[in-house]
Amino acid sequence: MSKELIRLRDLCMAYDDELVLDHLNLYINDKEFLTLLGPSGCGKSTTLRIIGGFTAPLSGDVLFDGVRINDVPPYKRQINTVFQKYALFPHLNVFENVAFGLRMQRRPDPADPKRKTKLPEEEIRERVLEMLEAVSLKGFENRRTDALSGGQQQRVAIARALVNRPKVLLLDEPLGALDLKLRKDMQIELKRIQQQVGITFIYVTHDQEEALTMSDTIVVMDKGSIQQIGTPEDIYNEPKNAFVADFIGESNIIDGVMVRDKLVQMYGRQFPCLDGGFAENEPVDVVIRPEDIDIVPVEQGQLTGTVTNVTFKGMQYDIIVDFRGFKWLIQTTDHSPVGARIGIKIDPDGIHVMKKSRYSGLYGDYSSFSDEYDELDAAEPEEGGNET
Amino acid sequence: MKRRRRAGSRVLTALVFLFLYAPILLLIVFSFNKGNSNIVWTGFSLDWYKSLFQNRLIMRSVYTTLLVSLLATAIATVAGTFAAIGFYSLRRRSRAALSTVNSIPMMNADIVTGVAMCLFFVAFFSFWSGFAGWFNGVQSVVVLPERLTLGFGTLLIAHVTFNIPYVILSVGPKLRQMDRNLVDAAQDLGCTWMQAFWKVILPEIKPGIASGALTAFTMSVDDFIISYFTAGSSSSTLAMTIYGMTKKRVTPEINAVSTLLFVTVLALLVIVNLREARAERGGEERRPVSRKLTRLLDTPRGRMLRRGAAVALAASFLAAVVLLTGATNAQPVVNVCSWGEYIDEDLITRFEEETGIIVNYQTAESNEALYSLLKSGAGDYDVVVPSDYMISQLIEEDMLAELDYSQIPNYALISDRFKGLTYDPQERYTVPYAWGTVGIIYNETMVEEPITSWSALFDDQYAGNVLMFRNSRDAMATALSYLGYSLNTTVEAELREAFQLLKDAKNRGVYQSFVMDEIFQKLEGGNAAIGAYYAGDYLTMLDNNEDLRFVIPEEGSNWFMDAMCVLKNAAHYDEAMAWINFIASTEANLANMDYLWYASPNQEALEQYPAYYEELYGEELGQEVYDIIAAPQEVLDRCEAYLVLPMETRKLYNDLWTELGI
Repeated sequence: MSKELIRLRDLCMAYDDELVLDHLNLYINDKEFLTLLGPSGCGKSTTLRIIGGFTAPLSGDVLFDGVRINDVPPYKRQINTVFQKYALFPHLNVFENVAFGLRMQRRPDPADPKRKTKLPEEEIRERVLEMLEAVSLKGFENRRTDALSGGQQQRVAIARALVNRPKVLLLDEPLGALDLKLRKDMQIELKRIQQQVGITFIYVTHDQEEALTMSDTIVVMDKGSIQQIGTPEDIYNEPKNAFVADFIGESNIIDGVMVRDKLVQMYGRQFPCLDGGFAENEPVDVVIRPEDIDIVPVEQGQLTGTVTNVTFKGMQYDIIVDFRGFKWLIQTTDHSPVGARIGIKIDPDGIHVMKKSRYSGLYGDYSSFSDEYDELDAAEPEEGGNET
Repeated sequence: MKRRRRAGSRVLTALVFLFLYAPILLLIVFSFNKGNSNIVWTGFSLDWYKSLFQNRLIMRSVYTTLLVSLLATAIATVAGTFAAIGFYSLRRRSRAALSTVNSIPMMNADIVTGVAMCLFFVAFFSFWSGFAGWFNGVQSVVVLPERLTLGFGTLLIAHVTFNIPYVILSVGPKLRQMDRNLVDAAQDLGCTWMQAFWKVILPEIKPGIASGALTAFTMSVDDFIISYFTAGSSSSTLAMTIYGMTKKRVTPEINAVSTLLFVTVLALLVIVNLREARAERGGEERRPVSRKLTRLLDTPRGRMLRRGAAVALAASFLAAVVLLTGATNAQPVVNVCSWGEYIDEDLITRFEEETGIIVNYQTAESNEALYSLLKSGAGDYDVVVPSDYMISQLIEEDMLAELDYSQIPNYALISDRFKGLTYDPQERYTVPYAWGTVGIIYNETMVEEPITSWSALFDDQYAGNVLMFRNSRDAMATALSYLGYSLNTTVEAELREAFQLLKDAKNRGVYQSFVMDEIFQKLEGGNAAIGAYYAGDYLTMLDNNEDLRFVIPEEGSNWFMDAMCVLKNAAHYDEAMAWINFIASTEANLANMDYLWYASPNQEALEQYPAYYEELYGEELGQEVYDIIAAPQEVLDRCEAYLVLPMETRKLYNDLWTELGI
């Protein structure tokens, strides 16, 4: 894509003897929109804080443009941050919040290069107003920040960071506090801003959909380690292990055996696939996305099962089908009633074979599907909500 | 039914508030009373406020109080704020532990804190003098002062110490309310930690700091107990002065000063509460004036103005500190400890004007209290004015310095009758200050016939109407006199007999109560008929109740002499000589005699007093009144002065007194 800007080399971090980052290695390109994605506690925020300079790693190096910056304090890094819940200064109005970084800046005096001087007031004013216009907040200069909506506060936080013209913008779950509709709008807005200013964005989220929508590159993390790095398409279509498969989108993960290249066996039946490079008869995890499964009459099916649950989702039905005691999720536009026996057919490109990993067998089937949905619903506001 | 209940609860509420505020209200009302009674309203006047502002003892302690409170508040606010930030950045568990440690001093009884600090300071001083002595011995470049004393410095340290927890307590919550990321955000935008503190943390926690500072200031102004133990002899806060003044009786002047103190603290509390209320409403609706002011102060010029004001404030603060320490260092001082209301305060002013020596004047409650103050090392005085028997004890324990009589020419004016008394037979340690007698004060409308004998104090006829001394020596003396024994007897049988007399009377309900200066209110108000007390005080009571009479019983009584002494190692010996000489003068004795109505030992003053009185008040001083102030020699001959008692007798006194159980 373009040249490398940040490199993290062998980062380790621990809180209270609990390893948070486990020998993390990662490079980030200039002008890239990179997302650190993972469940809470996976180490993604810690990684971001280390890049921002708010936390020092136990060991390992942070390189910026090839220079080690471990000991450079945050205020000297060409990096700015949009914080969770924005961290706007409550005692300052919108204009002063955005102007804060500029007021702190010093640059060599043109008259006497040895001396440092503040930015002139006119320049500050110009740049702040320009930035406010860029985030559609023109006319809000004198508002108190707590009189703004969540989305507006969000944009003030972005303007406050970007007005300093950093080389890298760090965003720590910036959309977490917004409602669904606003979040979708802001995703597009953020991507637009990134392309407009043309700098690197490092974005932390636990929301896989957000990551898929905006990123150039997604880094999936769990337990302090990187599970997979790739484009959104790679990550979705070719998950490297059961964790990634489960975390990104919905997946049916089935135990299988690789008979030989391009032929995998599940339920005692052999399915043609596109994967290869495994040993003969090697046990594997087979991932099948719910939308890659076609429902066919029983006699034409590669497998047959019984429908146990149907949920209408608008564009499609989520149906749960029991195949010999292991429940699959299938997304289809055709309605099948509960109790119906159906056959299914899977194209070779819908079958993703993965090596067994430590995540194998952790995620089970969809027998508790509806429970899982409930849990997700319940967890959502807590994770992203504006709790104090 | 419901309505009645509501009315009932309203009445109850009203009663609760009445109970809470009536005493203060009464005090405020009587501070505007024309007369000097606390019971009878004689008209509105501001005289007491006027005399308050002319009272240099009060004004100086107001100054001390304000200075120590302001300084302690400033230091404690800075220290407490940073401590709170330190707490905040700790892990939760250590923070909880530290918060508990922080709140202990607030819960702790003031008296414990006060005593502990006093002991600590004294212990430190003794360690220091050892260290400084050694240090000055081994080198001569830097000379350390070897002798440190309790004073303004220790008072300030104590106030800072007890203020810090309050600041931490009110800043802590503000920090916890603050978004943790704010500091990171500020640093992210180019601030160093210190800049982030000034630009972001400080504005966020300002309300907490302000209310912490106000609380600390209120606590400082209000504090009595801790100050009492740590102020030493040279500084006296307002609360301490008020306490000293109430030892005799509550004058309307005290009402006035208490009213001002109450109003000040009230005002501070109102400000604190208003601030909090406003913060809860959300600071949005500021008053227009303050918004205008804020806008004005936000212009570049206003910022300069603001900065200028801050600099000026800091400078004046610094100047005050320098002035204060400078003043105390440069000017000669003398530290005097006497009894409450035991001097005409004009004399202090006059002395200071004449000599340029500053007088730090403090009071002790009793000879015994003075003795323990001196023993503990907390009382670092130059001149003390103990009574005869206590002087003997101090001499016995080698605590007094010999006087340089060549610097006290006025000693010649002291009547020969009062020189070379038993407590100082060789005239080496003392110059008499004032003397008087103990007798019976009674209300003639409440007794059948004039009282002439101590028997009245043990007589069932007046059961419930008799007041007895609340100190063992004086109480036992009444019984010993009645029985015809010496007041200084060491015979255990005699003492036990006297004690039995007291105890039986107590058990039969003769005594309404055991009192010291409460006797003023009781006798003046007609709440009791008979009590034993000092002659000079009788005349003060007579002013407020004309039915009172005084008698020195036929069996004889106690007469006492209070004399000025200088403590060994006094830091201001020459100044002490100057003070003693000044007080021994005829002029000073006349003023004191008039103020105290205790007799002067100065022969000229004794002779001139009737004329002095006539000139001052335009009326003649009755002979019987004069004889009460200064008992004639033949009455004195019937009386006996206290001598210091041997240890075992003192112990017996103690044991008996404890057995009496009051």
